[in-house]
Amino acid sequence: MRRAVPDNGKIAKDAKESVQECVSEFISFVTSEASDKCMKEKRKTISGEDLIWSLGTLGFEEYVEALKHYLKLYREVSIKPPSVFSQSCLLLHSKVC
Amino acid sequence: MRQARPYSGMFCGGVSVRTGPHALPLARIKKIMKRSAGETADGGARMISGEAPVVFSKACELFIAELTRRAWAATLDGKRRTVHKEDVATAVHNTDLFDFLVDVVMAVHHAAGGDDGDDAAALE
Repeated sequence: MRRAVPDNGKIAKDAKESVQECVSEFISFVTSEASDKCMKEKRKTISGEDLIWSLGTLGFEEYVEALKHYLKLYREVSIKPPSVFSQSCLLLHSKVC
Repeated sequence: MRQARPYSGMFCGGVSVRTGPHALPLARIKKIMKRSAGETADGGARMISGEAPVVFSKACELFIAELTRRAWAATLDGKRRTVHKEDVATAVHNTDLFDFLVDVVMAVHHAAGGDDGDDAAALE
């Protein structure tokens, strides 16, 4: 939220809580649509593409291209060799500790 | 100290820790998804792929940014500098795309004891 508001703006605690509720509902809303799609196509698993399709169907077309690109990059990174995988996990581990 | 690469957090999506200063917790996203995903035709639980919460994490960032920007516009209309839940409610009511959130912001408003006699009458 902080990034969407200029430096001279503030965000009240009740606004953060309200947005949090909205995000939960957003996830439920889109997941239900994706789940229905999987049911119609007789598939058990909701994929990233199902979510992106659902977002487009529900009116969030502006998000579709960015998410397609994001998913593509995620998949490319996920199939990198084990040495790169370990390095990234080590980096995150040192960050968390 | 070497900077973490942009997508390094994704590798540990199964761990229930925040994956970065702005990333949303994947475990929580997955929990909400499981609640809403329903069942398969044979009564089994709907499965969720590993990438789905990652996609949602980004989608939620975009959603939060848009909702907050619109709420901020309502804050400025009221000549204020602090975004309150009423501004979030105004953003929801002013945006057709956010129609599915009308009950959510009403529930938040009611829980706080807001005065919305007109809205209650309209619902009946």
